[in-house]
Amino acid sequence: MKSLKRTAAINLDRMRKNPGRNFVLRPIALGIVAALMGCSSKEEVKVVASVADCVDQTELDQAQCEAAYQQALQEAERTGPKYDSRQLCEAEFGNCRQSGSFFLPLMTGFMVGQMLDGRDRRQYYNPVYRYTNPYSGHYDRLMTSDGSVIGRSGKVNYTVPSTATKPKPTVTKTVSRGGFGSVASAKSSWGGGRSGGWGG
Amino acid sequence: MLRMPINPRPDWKERAREFGFGFHTMYGEPYWDESAYYQFTLEQIERDLEDPSEEIHRMCLEVVARVIADDELMRRFCIPERHWDFVRNSWESGDPSLYSRLDFAYTGKGPAKLYENNADTPTSLFETGFWQWLWLQDNVDRGALPRQADQFNSLQEKLVNRFRDLQFLTPGRALHFACCKGTEEDRGTVQYLQDCAREAGIEEHFVFIEDIGRDTEGRFTDLQDQVISWMFKLYPWEFMFREEFGDYLGGNNIRWLEPPWKAILSNKALLPMLWRMFPGHPNLLPAFFEDELDQAAEFDELVKKPIFSREGANISIVKSASSDRAGHKTEVLSDGPYGEEGYIYQAMYPLPKFGKNYTLIGSWLIDDEAAGISIREDSGLITLDSSRYLPHIIL
Repeated sequence: MKSLKRTAAINLDRMRKNPGRNFVLRPIALGIVAALMGCSSKEEVKVVASVADCVDQTELDQAQCEAAYQQALQEAERTGPKYDSRQLCEAEFGNCRQSGSFFLPLMTGFMVGQMLDGRDRRQYYNPVYRYTNPYSGHYDRLMTSDGSVIGRSGKVNYTVPSTATKPKPTVTKTVSRGGFGSVASAKSSWGGGRSGGWGG
Repeated sequence: MLRMPINPRPDWKERAREFGFGFHTMYGEPYWDESAYYQFTLEQIERDLEDPSEEIHRMCLEVVARVIADDELMRRFCIPERHWDFVRNSWESGDPSLYSRLDFAYTGKGPAKLYENNADTPTSLFETGFWQWLWLQDNVDRGALPRQADQFNSLQEKLVNRFRDLQFLTPGRALHFACCKGTEEDRGTVQYLQDCAREAGIEEHFVFIEDIGRDTEGRFTDLQDQVISWMFKLYPWEFMFREEFGDYLGGNNIRWLEPPWKAILSNKALLPMLWRMFPGHPNLLPAFFEDELDQAAEFDELVKKPIFSREGANISIVKSASSDRAGHKTEVLSDGPYGEEGYIYQAMYPLPKFGKNYTLIGSWLIDDEAAGISIREDSGLITLDSSRYLPHIIL
C-alpha cells in the first residue's frame, strides 16, 4: 500500500476546544473527555522532608540524597515564589527567608522522581512548599514553585501531573515592560488598523 | 491541477467552533472557503512542489552562509549593524529552526516559480496542518470525496516530531510562545503551535509580545516574572531589532524560534541573492537589487517589492517600453506601511487564473523537510491577508 502524503492520524479529542454537537448527542464522548482530563500523563513521585527522610523513603543512598537536597535548594533559589516583603511571603507560606532583595518561602521538602527529558530519563528534585494561609482553600496543601497543588501535606507518595516534574522557569523581578511591539503598533495605525496578524 | 466545486459540510461552522477556528471570516468576508477545492496528481505534488521546496530551502541556506560572511551583504539585507553578532552567532552555533513557507506561482504544468520565502513568521498553519486535514476526513466520511483521496499535508505530524527534536536540542528549558495583542489570526496560529509542543511533551507558556518585560540583568520575563529562556515569537526579527528591548538581544541567554539567522531568509533581498547565486534555476524568477536594474533591461514588467513587507503590502509593477528605465511607468497594486528600507525587483510572472481566481500555493517546510501545501485565492493579482483559503486533495 502506498504511503500517505498526509498526517496519518490526529487525536481529535486533544484538538477540541469546545464541546461539539456530537458530544450532546453521544454522552459516551463526555466520559472520554473526563477520562482524558482525569488521567492525562500522571507520574508517581515521592516527597521527602530531609536527607535522612530521603534515605529512608527512596532507593537513593546517603550521597545521592545529599546531592538531591542541594539540587532542590538550588532549584528553590532559582524558581521559588519570590515576594517583595517578608509579610507577604509569611502570609502565604509561614516561614520565609531573605535572598537578595526578595523573600522566599522555606522549602518543606523535595520531590524525587524520574522524568522524560526529550529522549532521556533523568532524576529531578523539585522543591515543594507547604501553603499555610488559613483563609485559603489551599491551606495545608503542598505545591511546586509555580503554585501547582500536588496534594495535602504529610504523605510520601503523590500522583502529580507530568507538568509538575518539568523544569520550571527562573523567577526574577521585572523592572520594565513594553519594550517590544512598537513597530507593529506604528504600522497598524496605518490604514486604520487591521485584524490580521504580523505573520505572513 | 483542477479547481473543483463541492458542497460545504453542512455543519462546518459548528466544527470550526468545536476546534477553536475563530477567524474563518475576516473583514466581514469569508477567509476559509470550502465551496471548492483544488485537485492535484501525486506527480504534480512530488515532482513540482515537494522536491523543489526542499531544493530551494537548501539553496536559501547557501545564501544565508554567504550573507553571514559578508559585511556588504549584511548591509544590503538591512540587518542593523549592532545585531550582526547576534545573527551570525545563531548561524554559526547551528541554532535549529522550526518551520517556513515558500510561496509559489504554479499552473499545474512546468516548474513552480518562487515568489518569496516566509521563513520567520509564517501563518495559516492551523488551517493547513489541522483544519484542511479535518475537511478531507469529514468529506470522505460523508461520502463526498473518494476514500483514496489524499492530501499533501503531514504538517501536524512533522510539527510534533520536530518539537520533540527541539526539546532534545534545548534541554531543561520551558518554551514561551508570543504574538501581538488584538490579532485573532496570530493568536490562533500560536495556540496551534502550543498544542503541538505540548503534544511533544514540552512545558509551554504564553505571553503577548507587548507584555514581555526585563529584569535588571536584561533577562526577558513573562507576566508571572518568570525568566524566558526559550521563546517562539510570531513577530518579525526586523521589528524586534529596531525596538527598545532589541538592545538586550544577544546579551541574554535565550534560544529563539525562529532563530535570528532567519532574518536573512524572511527578507526580500533573498530573491536577488538567489538569482545571483543560482541564475537560471527553473524554480526562480529573475530578481534584482535596485542598483542592478541595468541587468533587467530585457524585462518589460518588473514587480517592485519592499525589502521588508508582510501579506502582500506595498507591491507595485514597473513597466518599461524600452530598455530605458527613465521613461518607466509605475502602477501601484497595493498600499501599505512598508518600503523605508528600500526595494527589490522581480520579473513579472502573474499568478495562474482558475475561473475568476488568482491562485497562490504556499509550500510548508518543517526544518528542511517539505510537509504540505496551502492554497490562497484572490480576485486580484496580489495575495493579501484577506485572500481566501481553499483546501486541496491528491487524486
